[in-house]
Amino acid sequence: MSHEQKPLPDANLPPFAGGRTLMLGGLAGGVAGLLLTLLGGLAAPRPALLAYLVAFVYWLGLAVGTTTLVLANHAAGARWNVTIRRLGESIGATIPLFALLFIPLLLGASHIWFWVAPDTTASKELLQLLAQKRSYLNLPSFALRAVVYFIIWCGVAWRLRALSLRQDESGDPALTLAQRRLAAPGLIFFILAMTFASFDWLMSLQPTWYSTIFGLYIHAGAFVCSLALICLIVTGLRSSDAPWGRLITVDHQHNLGKLLLAFTAFWAYMAFSQYMLIWVGNLPEELQWIVSRSRGVWRPVGQLILFGQFLIPFFILLSRKVKRTTGRLAALSVWFLFIHYVDLYWVVMPAAAPDQLGLHWTHFTAFFGIGGVSVAAAVYLMRGVRPVPVKDPFLEDSLRYAQP
Amino acid sequence: MRRFVLGVFTQPEACVEAARQLHAQGVPGLDAYSPYPLHGIDEALELPPSKVPLVALVGGLFGVIGGYTMQWWMNGVDYPINVGNRPPHGFWTNIPITFECGILLAVLSIFFSSIFGFFQLPRTYHPVFESEQFRTASLDRFWISVETEDESKVEGLREQLRAVGAKRIHTVLEAT
Repeated sequence: MSHEQKPLPDANLPPFAGGRTLMLGGLAGGVAGLLLTLLGGLAAPRPALLAYLVAFVYWLGLAVGTTTLVLANHAAGARWNVTIRRLGESIGATIPLFALLFIPLLLGASHIWFWVAPDTTASKELLQLLAQKRSYLNLPSFALRAVVYFIIWCGVAWRLRALSLRQDESGDPALTLAQRRLAAPGLIFFILAMTFASFDWLMSLQPTWYSTIFGLYIHAGAFVCSLALICLIVTGLRSSDAPWGRLITVDHQHNLGKLLLAFTAFWAYMAFSQYMLIWVGNLPEELQWIVSRSRGVWRPVGQLILFGQFLIPFFILLSRKVKRTTGRLAALSVWFLFIHYVDLYWVVMPAAAPDQLGLHWTHFTAFFGIGGVSVAAAVYLMRGVRPVPVKDPFLEDSLRYAQP
Repeated sequence: MRRFVLGVFTQPEACVEAARQLHAQGVPGLDAYSPYPLHGIDEALELPPSKVPLVALVGGLFGVIGGYTMQWWMNGVDYPINVGNRPPHGFWTNIPITFECGILLAVLSIFFSSIFGFFQLPRTYHPVFESEQFRTASLDRFWISVETEDESKVEGLREQLRAVGAKRIHTVLEAT
């Protein structure tokens, strides 16, 4: 008896044409938000720039994190992810926009980074420490390094997307090989750039403090948040009646949920390693960062992050049912997208104001400003291209994917 | 005395489909054998969810509690040592060992519960091995077995297996 295999849905989708409302709405809201933040910045530069920094790192982290997922899947030779890969490629390709959005931070650097123009009335010891760090922490090399980070990020993300789009036309399997060859070295440079970027932009807010694991802590948080973003989009597509959504099965969603579980634990591992080593070392120059974040108003915020970004979601995600239920995974993803902002807020704001929350209205305008324009850019990059790589040699494997 | 009616299939999809049909017909005592994991066979037979995760969770929790208690007892109560005036019982420094004890006990409980509980390992014999050809279940054939106590049902089961497409049918008796 010859047995027929289950028929696959038609994957040869036409170029994506939806999302027009989201794109235009995002653009309008984003531009409005950025203009309001600019007004706030002209009135009070320091709080507005700090709010802008939190929002900038948050949204950039999403673009970097989704590309990291694509790179990691290529490096591992994954086949299951083909139907969701174009999402990551499009979101990652928004990074050039962030190079543009970095300019305000560079212009206002002296308002938020103390080392740019140290106050000469500060303690002699602090000034001497900063003088010793001047060969790394000075504005020209800071700007130059930022250029290097953006060249690495944009180069890798755009190359990946270009190779993948070219395959939509030609179907040449050599293009898959080219993407896979780019993946492993690309991953190394990608994460190194993120590590140094977090040293430059976040760690240097308290210029006498240092922690070597800090870059991975930031990147791990951004990666969890990007997985949550992709989960949210995937669950949204699956519950819509778009033909694209029919190509993404519950097994793909389950895999994303498993990655979310694994990388929440990875984030917690990074956070714990940083905290425990500082705690047990008990040295003043390392302790200052933890001390300012575990006193007063910042203590409950830190506890919220510990429970909200690791302990509670970890045990919820252990359940197979949660990972396979569209609504529950979507709700959890929204929570992750929120708590990662709180995490970055907790990283940035105590450096500026150790004894108050410092919530300024520009936090909202900057968040929705940068978010609006980057969402609009991602939708713009998605429109006009095929929603799945239609000629990828592993597309059929991906459509047939079932949980082992 | 238990009887096993065995049907062999050459294609994995045919085996899964046959299992689904037999299960839908309400045949009790179904089981399937294949050389590699078959997608969809769990759903076709409506097997109960695996108990391995529960065993791992319980083992892991024992490891966590045991690992923490051990360190608290040794460092905090039984033999406190002053190292640079750090508290003898430090919560954070106990976490790595606690975590690793949790992993260790989770893995060991999966290993031993599988070997002695789920595989029942000291027993190396199963009645279906009476069929000489059943060894192809670990090579390239897919088998469905139906277990029954009632001899009068055997003929009907043979017909049912043939109807869902079994290539060849064997009946084996449990050796007494």
